[in-house]
Amino acid sequence: MQKILLTVILLYSGLTAYAQNVTLQGRVTSHEDNGPLPGVSILVKGTTTGTTTDADGRYRIDAPPGATLVFNFIGFQSQEVSSDATQPINITLRPDSRQLQEIVVVGYGEQSRKTITGSLASVSAEAIRNIPAPSPDQLLQGKAAGVQVTANSGVPGGGIFIRVRGTNSVNAGNDPLYVVDGVFINNTNLIRTGLGNQTPSNPLTDINPSDIESIEVLKDANATAIYGSRGANGVVIITTKRGQANTAARINFNTYQGWSWAPKKFDVVNGQQLAELENELFLNDGGAPAQIPYRDRAVGGAGTPQEQPTYNRIDDLFRTARTSSYELAASGGNDKTRYYIGGGYFKQESIVKPSEFERYSLRINLDQTITDKLQIGTSTALTHTWRNVSSNDNNPAGVINSGLFPRSNLPVYNEDGTFAKYGNFDNHIALIENLNNDASGNRVISNLYGSYDILPELTLRSSWSIDFNDMYENNYSNTLILAGQPRGAATSSLSRDVTLLNEQTLTYHKTLGQFNVQVILGNTIQKNTIWRTQLSGLQFPSNSLETIASSATQTGSSQKAEAGLLSWFGKAGLTFRDKYIVDASFRADGSSRFGASNRWGYFPSVGVAWRAGEEDFVKNVDVFDELKLRASIGITGNQAGISEYASQGLWEGGNNYLDQPGTAPLQIRNANLSWEETRQWNVGIDIGVLQNRLIFDLNYYDKYTSGLLLNVPVPRKLGYASQLQNYGAVSNKGLELTITGNILQSGPLKWTSSFNISTNKNRIEKLASSFTSGSRDIFLLKEGEPLYAFWLYKQRYVDTQTGDAVYEDLGGDGITVADRQIVGDAWPDFFGGFNNTLRYGNFDLTASLYFEQGAKIMNMNRFFLVHGGTQRNIGYYPEQLERWQKPGDVTDIPRLTRVSSSNNYGGTVQNLSTRYLEDGSFIRLRTVTLGYTLPATLLSRYRLASLRVYVSGTNLWTATPYSGLDPEVNSQSGVANTKNFDWATVPQPRTIQAGLTLGF
Amino acid sequence: MKSRYTTALAALIFTASACSDLLDTEPYQQLADGTAIIDEGSARAALLGAYSNAQAYYSLNYPVLGYLPADNVQFNGTLNQYLQVDQNALTADNVIITDTWTQIYKTINAANNVIALVPDVLDPAFTATEKEQVTGEAYFLRALGYFDLARGWGGVPVVTQPTRQLTDGLGIKRSTLDQTYDQVLADLIEAEKRLPETATRNRAVKNAARALRARLHLYREQWTEAETYASEVIGNTAAYTLVKPYKTFFTAPFLSPESIFELSFSTADQNNQWNNWYPSQLGGQYTLQPTIGFITLVNDASRGGSRKTLIGSVTTGNATAVYGILYNRDAQRDDPAYIIRLAEVYLIRAEARAHQSGKEADALDDLNAVRSRADLTNLNLTAPADILLAIEAERSIEFAFEAHRWFDLVRTKRADDVLGIEDERKWLFPIPFAEINADPDLANDQNPGYL
Repeated sequence: MQKILLTVILLYSGLTAYAQNVTLQGRVTSHEDNGPLPGVSILVKGTTTGTTTDADGRYRIDAPPGATLVFNFIGFQSQEVSSDATQPINITLRPDSRQLQEIVVVGYGEQSRKTITGSLASVSAEAIRNIPAPSPDQLLQGKAAGVQVTANSGVPGGGIFIRVRGTNSVNAGNDPLYVVDGVFINNTNLIRTGLGNQTPSNPLTDINPSDIESIEVLKDANATAIYGSRGANGVVIITTKRGQANTAARINFNTYQGWSWAPKKFDVVNGQQLAELENELFLNDGGAPAQIPYRDRAVGGAGTPQEQPTYNRIDDLFRTARTSSYELAASGGNDKTRYYIGGGYFKQESIVKPSEFERYSLRINLDQTITDKLQIGTSTALTHTWRNVSSNDNNPAGVINSGLFPRSNLPVYNEDGTFAKYGNFDNHIALIENLNNDASGNRVISNLYGSYDILPELTLRSSWSIDFNDMYENNYSNTLILAGQPRGAATSSLSRDVTLLNEQTLTYHKTLGQFNVQVILGNTIQKNTIWRTQLSGLQFPSNSLETIASSATQTGSSQKAEAGLLSWFGKAGLTFRDKYIVDASFRADGSSRFGASNRWGYFPSVGVAWRAGEEDFVKNVDVFDELKLRASIGITGNQAGISEYASQGLWEGGNNYLDQPGTAPLQIRNANLSWEETRQWNVGIDIGVLQNRLIFDLNYYDKYTSGLLLNVPVPRKLGYASQLQNYGAVSNKGLELTITGNILQSGPLKWTSSFNISTNKNRIEKLASSFTSGSRDIFLLKEGEPLYAFWLYKQRYVDTQTGDAVYEDLGGDGITVADRQIVGDAWPDFFGGFNNTLRYGNFDLTASLYFEQGAKIMNMNRFFLVHGGTQRNIGYYPEQLERWQKPGDVTDIPRLTRVSSSNNYGGTVQNLSTRYLEDGSFIRLRTVTLGYTLPATLLSRYRLASLRVYVSGTNLWTATPYSGLDPEVNSQSGVANTKNFDWATVPQPRTIQAGLTLGF
Repeated sequence: MKSRYTTALAALIFTASACSDLLDTEPYQQLADGTAIIDEGSARAALLGAYSNAQAYYSLNYPVLGYLPADNVQFNGTLNQYLQVDQNALTADNVIITDTWTQIYKTINAANNVIALVPDVLDPAFTATEKEQVTGEAYFLRALGYFDLARGWGGVPVVTQPTRQLTDGLGIKRSTLDQTYDQVLADLIEAEKRLPETATRNRAVKNAARALRARLHLYREQWTEAETYASEVIGNTAAYTLVKPYKTFFTAPFLSPESIFELSFSTADQNNQWNNWYPSQLGGQYTLQPTIGFITLVNDASRGGSRKTLIGSVTTGNATAVYGILYNRDAQRDDPAYIIRLAEVYLIRAEARAHQSGKEADALDDLNAVRSRADLTNLNLTAPADILLAIEAERSIEFAFEAHRWFDLVRTKRADDVLGIEDERKWLFPIPFAEINADPDLANDQNPGYL
């Protein structure tokens, strides 16, 4: 042996003066089944030299003689071997029983999944890779039971609709609390450019999904009560990647390129059809046949229908949009220092011109052991984003509106070549070419911590965090678009939200006999400050001078507000014989937003679990590998809807007259104002059978939110319209089932699968009075009904003799506003996902389905484009051609008329007919990915540790009865209490992408 | 070891106690209500805030309610609330109705604060005369508010104390129309006492109070008083004259000698009513349009005269859009809200005189004064009924896009004859649905004909 080594050393020293290393190789297998372990980290101890095993478990490493190799793999005990051992150095790793217990991140700590009494869902980095979405919340779609995620529109970086176990609140916000590496991050959209009613940005796009190690969604009160007055909407804990101790440096390069397009585009009638409809309308409304508008030009008409040209504007709106992503990350660590450093660039175009989104991100996560008791570290992320913001949706000056609504026989350009505009719509080409709305964001989310082991079982941790979020917008509208009339308009605004956070926790963890005790005590001090500054300029000397300095008139304003939050919290868990688990938590929140007589809120919770599967009588049945019964109850709060000074009696400045400062009463004091309070109980059962090959997780929850923050109408004779009060109540009840299957574990083909399905029943329990929301009051909030309920006239049929629409007449007194009724809602009966991963050799295939059943969608595009002639500046959908024309016609589309008494398209009904309310159920193949990992033997030649290539498709297939472009739509995301409202919205793109992940 | 636990707990408590003022935050751009009016500066700011509230309802909503239900203006848009106004088919939940009602009461509450608090302000620099003037302006704005409520809705709840808490208005039910007008009169008397005699046109002065009082008496058919107060204003020829050409009063820099009271706007404090009138080629929405009938009328040289400058037209391709240009400051957005002009005072006096036998000739003189300013020939009528009809027609064109036509036809009970609205219950606006719901004092007190 020594001879061989000597020979090798001699050989090497002969080649280079300094290289005295030996090349070592071997294979790493699992002790359990002797299967290969790919991805095991191998490090030459005391150096940074290292490698990882390939798919077959094989490795190759150069090491100096006499060195020690350290083998590390998550879930296994690490092993050290001398490099002098006999070649090949084959290693078998033993599972680490402690680590094999699935550890999940919970509020202020980690916990073995076995001992969880509440309800939470974990999503790993693996499950969300390869989805071309810029934000982590979007990736949760279909991955976690009870978490409903839908995109509001297909605009990249735009808002997301996310609800954990239904909607609790009417006014106070329903987004979950996001905690990234212990920092409560601000989730307020800062973009102020008006976009119709769409939320322009999703602040979570500031987090690069590739940096994420895991996402935990805490759902029940026992899991969230530790977050007190902010926990009611659920908590999403995002943990980012960190370096592993004693692992070799690993550099990963990850890129993908995507191409997206609209699977379906709008369709409108051609010029001839439009003219025929208009002529018919004219005759229907009693016009003289000789005077029909589209008749021979010679007799003063606008030309016969056959002579009408058709201008296709729709195709001008869409494009094949590109997505590019590049990331470089390095991670590793020795026994003192661990690091993860990642940088990324992401760019995504919208499939509707001209929006796009760009992100530069950098993350540095460091942990340093200073003494055996003291550790410090940081998690720091810097992000720069850029958006070309363009309006769509509920806005006549929106891009889709400008292309979809103008009549198809009207030319795009005037005879002199200038842009032609009709009605209050912009010219679509002018808009696409001239929209100039820049939003540039800078974000720092950083946390610095120190942790000190006072005693082996007692640790004090202190952390200091900042979430700094800046959005700088510069918009210029030149005279070619409506927003720039008559002589140009520009705005420049800076919005800044800063959260400062200091937190101490004291953790006690001890095993006493068969008891396992964990106690955490802590406090948090948080301060939020917001600043807003806006400048605007009107009247520019030319379209090429864009900055406000060039404008003739300038106005500006600025605002600032502060809020403080002081909290105490604690939780304790006790486990006896690993079978009986009880835990409890408590938080006290003092908030400056609350009224003076209600400053502190208290939020307790308790949970119990019984792992019946550990009892002998269950073990004897020999069916269950796991059988756990869980129950929890607790109280959480929501203070998101209380503005900083909502409880105070205030006068406001800015009520100026003659350019002199004026003040006026703003709001009446409400000293009792407090958080919304949600009481939630949860019962659940976990079942594992067939050697845990099938795992069932079933939960039932019941939530009752009271003290709902409502602007309760007050007598207006007092000079105020409303007062913010804790008044209403909403309930949510639901059932969630997750089935996880490791269906094929041995053999060359491996298949893991996860299916989840959830229902939620939402109900408004108490309101001051019914009120409407959204454009045209389409949503009605009413006691006893769910939120997002559509309020419309119910069309029964179109009379085959008269051609007039017949609506349900509840009072039998003709159609009045009293006949407008709740006709459905935007809640799915159930929703869920089905996620599959298959591996065969070096190939991997993942496929994710997402489905929603039973939600209704109000299709406003049809509302506007099937208008029967009432909209003089708007064209028609081909559906209008199906109108009633002569007695005997059977159709749902009434005859064309502007006569309001017919109620066909106007009159009392104002076209707010169930005709346009559709079933929005859908099932879609969210993503499908085929990957191939190249064999290590091939790679070692190029000094590469790993290389995976893949192709992936997003939204390749959707089945839906919905007639619009896409059933995943929410055009009025900026308007509270609305959902599933489709109005000139960018559809979800269909994307094909190809990518590779390269490891060095 | 026990001491280590103690130390750890002490560390927790220490950090939290270090920031006791975290929970007592003070706003940056708002004032606590107790400190809103404490010295001269804040008293004047509160008064300007009351004007600002009046701007809020006069920049669009109130003029819309004054012209859109009648025959000169039509709505061409999709918003239901405007269609309802245009078609005289209001429902109690109409948001224009609700907003206007709310904005007027906000103005009244702002004025109530000034009236209640300013006399007791302790500020040596704030003289008694100055205090009188400030409260006088507040009395005027409150009078304007209640007058505008009364002519739209009939009798309304009369609140004359500032609101401090929700229980303050308890028990205040609707007054009768007469009681509401009595409150207007009382406020105008207080205002006239306190206001200066100057000819400021965008702040309340004595003559503004007199002119509004003349209008009040006209609405109450108190002809002699209407004539008296109109004459007091007209007699002030140094300060007020009819301007020529007609369009002078709505041409920048505004504040023409014809203006008795207008609310000024500025680029920093915009009036965007032009946007509703201007066609899209000019950057507007074109939702408010002159009717074909009005276009014909105003272009008729014997009827409209120089007032045809109220409309303009723009041609793109082969389409011509005719639009109203009373509100024309599309770039500066500083069109005033026109509230009382001298032409109105002449026509008030004409109408008041026509109702008093023997004063027909004087009535005709007043009418012809307005006509000749518009470059029209004098009318030669003798029968009071004919003169009254001529005044009605004159007012229709003269104030076409201001808050008059609808209220004129309602007060003269001519809304049926002219507009064909037979159901007199529709001559009053509904009390906002939200108000009926929120105020127990108004339960079952909706105007007849509305739910």
